This record gives sequence, structure tokens and C-alpha cells, in this order.
Amino acid sequence: MKSSFPIFLAVFVALGASFGGFVVGGISQLGTEKQTTVLNSTDTYPLQRTGDATLGLQVYRAQGCAACHTTQVRQDGMTCDVVLMGAGKNLRAVQKVLGEIAPADKDLATNQLPKTIFSGVTKEVAGDNSDKLTGAGAKAEIHINATGADISRGWGIRQSVAEDFLWDYPVQLGSLRAGPDLANVGARYTMNLQLQHLYAPQSVDKNSAMPPFKYLFVVRKKINGELSPDALSLPKGIVPDDSEVIPTDDAKNLAAYLVSLRADVPLYDAPFTPTVSAPAEKK
Amino acid sequence: MNHDLSNSKSQTSTHLTVPIWIIALMLTLIFLGGVYFDHHSGWFDAKVYGPYQSAGQLAAYQPLSGEAAIVAHGKQVYEINCGTCHGPDGMGMPGKAPPLAGSEWVNAKGFHRLVEIPQLGLNGTITVKGQPMNFPTGMAAVGSAMSDADLAAILTYIRASWGNNADAVTADDVKAVRASVGGHHAIDGDVELKTIPE
Ligand code: HEC
Repeated sequence: MKSSFPIFLAVFVALGASFGGFVVGGISQLGTEKQTTVLNSTDTYPLQRTGDATLGLQVYRAQGCAACHTTQVRQDGMTCDVVLMGAGKNLRAVQKVLGEIAPADKDLATNQLPKTIFSGVTKEVAGDNSDKLTGAGAKAEIHINATGADISRGWGIRQSVAEDFLWDYPVQLGSLRAGPDLANVGARYTMNLQLQHLYAPQSVDKNSAMPPFKYLFVVRKKINGELSPDALSLPKGIVPDDSEVIPTDDAKNLAAYLVSLRADVPLYDAPFTPTVSAPAEKK
Repeated sequence: MNHDLSNSKSQTSTHLTVPIWIIALMLTLIFLGGVYFDHHSGWFDAKVYGPYQSAGQLAAYQPLSGEAAIVAHGKQVYEINCGTCHGPDGMGMPGKAPPLAGSEWVNAKGFHRLVEIPQLGLNGTITVKGQPMNFPTGMAAVGSAMSDADLAAILTYIRASWGNNADAVTADDVKAVRASVGGHHAIDGDVELKTIPE
């Protein structure tokens, strides 16, 4: 076969190029990701998940949660707010600048501070205006917000980045959203609510399309008519009054994993200004 | 057309040429791909995710506040104004400038001498880290035309980097020192520097 070498070469190049692009490229880009610190803080992120949450990831995987849920929040853009934190020594000068850049706020008094002067503007506009305010001796801050459809649905505050998945193997990104995104679900539901939701989703959200995972729980008669320490505290009517619902280890681990899903701190690659930091800086 | 093609192929394949418009189309597509790549890839930087398009844009969107913002600004101004001689790593350059990293002048408790050096310039023998050094060109008054805030940011940056650890210098500090020195000539080495209070 006289063309066997060109064929071999063609196959080698085709496979080699895709191996290079998908495997080598991917590893050289993200393979060395490691823990970072939360922006403007010395806290390490992300922390290793707790033992039960790590086991819970495997339950999440076994139950096929990723078939209907994603854990990746997307972001379409970013906007800036200019917040006037303090007027400095010369309130008149600051008011004069405000009269030029934001006439509505020109009679600002110090007891109204901190006050948002601009919101939803680009970084350039925010930078220019905050420079004008600082030039007049005021203390102005630029707050950065992540925007996008996922974020306005309340699924997260910022987009998901590689660090969020640092401790997960295998990563449960998901690709279909029959249900909401879970990247930040730990910030929405408490442990008990997670368990109740797994046992009877419609008791938490009556329009939920999620099937109940009753087989992760044991329903049994109450002992002496009293709830066991482990039993779920459910609203009336889900199980008969003389019965109680006990989560199995799988259910507990899964709930622990869900509670550990939190992507709500600012990172270098996903910057934003947390709203809670403003009052803390005021004092 | 099809007919022609198969006909000519059956005779000989060497007469087949690729039409010029296909080549042009390919080149255009490659070019447009390159433009798209340039705009959206962030050069495969692991930290850059859309909607951010480059490491520079991401850096501009960092919500820095307080001293972190001043140090970041100081780094920028330093690299333009001082880094050419003292090096971006603060290690100095042989024959050009002494190191700032670990320098006792930079890490001094007070800030008076440190503001006066870039404000007035410095000539003559200077002892840094215990070593007397001589630089034929000396240091010009490179800081005299800067704003108080820029010079303060530079000094805060060099006092907080490369293992240095000294207090920040504020724009008011710089202003006060500048007002006190007036139109003094360049400082004459160690000897004169030591007469200035820390
Ligand atoms: C043209 C090159 C040059 C530039 C630019 C320059 N320096 Fe210098 N610097 C020198 C030289 C040379 C000396 C030593 C002067 C002498 O001969 O006494 C020096 C000395 C110093 C010293 C004291 C010695 C030490 O190592 O601690 C400080 C502090 C200093 N420079 C800070 C700065 C700062 C801040 C800037 C930017 C605003 C700056 N320099 C820009 C050349 C330069």
C-alpha cells in the first residue's frame, strides 16, 4: 500500500491536533489553578468541602442531578456605581462638582452619605466622575456589579470561574436547565429546607417540576409520639401526624453538598463589590 | 460544471486549480478569525473570562479601595518614572541606580528624606545597605513635577514592596515637605542627607 504513510500522517495530525487543542491546551490553561484569596481580604478561597459534602458530590452525581441542573452562573457584562462616601473638608467644592456632573444631587448634605451618585455606568464614566469628586476633596468609591440574565434571576452575584470547582471531582457543570442553576444554592436554602425540598419539592415551591427523592429518606412511626433528633421538621400534611421522616446518610451528604455550593465572594477573575462592605467601611 | 469537473478529473488531476475566489475567501476568513481571536480570547489567560476581553480590562475592573488602590497606582507611576533606573523589581541597576529593596533610606521611620530625594535630586556618595556607592550621573529631581498624590503613591508603593515594610506616605505629607524645601539644590550624598531630619 503505497499511500499508507500519508494516511498515517493524516490520522496522526488529526488526532494530535485535537489532543493538543482539547487536552494539552486545556491543562496548560487551567491545570495549575489553585486556591486564591478573596478580593480585598486575606481569606482563602475556595476552602476544601467538608467530608459529608465531598461524599454528597458523589450522591449528586449518582442521582443524576446534573441532568436537569447546572452549577455555572453566566455573566453578560459589568456596570459601575459611583458612591460618595464622605465630603472631605470642603462640602461647597464637592457640591459645586456635583452641580456639574449630577445636578440632582447638588444640595447634598453630609448626613445623606454614603450616597450613590451614578449607577449602571461604564468604568470610564465612573472613573472620570469619581476623579472629579476626589479632586474636590471628597471620598468617592467605584462599586462594580456583575450583570446578566442569570444574575437577575437571583442565581448568583457573579459568574462561575474555575476556582469554584477546585475541589470537585468530577465537576458537575451540567448543561441543561430543567431546574434552576445551583452554583449558589447554599446561599438560598438552609440545611433543613434542602432536605425538605429533596423529600417533597412541591412543599417548598408548588410549581416545581422536580421529582421527589423519597427513597433517600425513611418514613417511620414516631416513637412515643415524639420526633427523633434527626427527623425533618416538615409542614403539616406531608406525612401522617404519627409518622416522621428520617434522612438516610445519602440524603444528609447530598444536602451538605448543596449547602456547600456557594459562589458569592469576589475573586480577581470575577470581581464585584459586595454590598455588605459599604456600611462596614463607613465607621 | 459538475460534468466538466468529473471529466477533467478522469483525464488528469494536475489540471485542476483552486479558483482564486476560494483562496481569497479562506484568507478573509482566517483574517476575520484572527481579529475575533484578538478581541475575545484574552490570550488564553486563565483569569480572563468573558465578558472581560483582556487581562488589562480585568485589572481595570478590580474594586480596589484604600491603601490597595494607592499601591496599585503607585506601581504604575513607579514603573514609568523610577523603574527605568531602579528596576521594576527595586533591585537597582549596576552603574545606574542603587537598590530600593531593603534600602535603609526607603524603610526609614520618617518620610522627610524620602520625599526630598525625588523632589530635589541626589548626587555624591550614597551608602545603601551598608555599602558606599557612587554614580557619575546621580539622580535628577525626577519627582519635582509630579502631583503630591502621584509621588505619595510611588513612595507608599516602594515602602510596601519587595520585602520593604514601612508606613504609607500621604499626599499631605508630600505637600508639607515640598512646602518646606522650596528651591533647594540637589542633595549632596550621605553627608547632606543625614543633616535632614528623618
Ligand atoms: C535617572 C535614573 C534614576 C531615576 C529615574 C530615579 N532614580 Fe533614584 N537614584 C538614582 C541614582 C543614580 C541614585 C544614587 C544617587 C547618588 O549618586 O547619590 C538614586 C538614589 C535614590 C534613593 C536613595 C538611595 C536608595 O537606594 O535608597 C532613593 C530613595 C531613590 N533614588 C528613589 C527614587 C524614586 C522614588 C524615583 C522615582 C520618582 C527615582 N529614584 C528615580 C537614579 C535614578
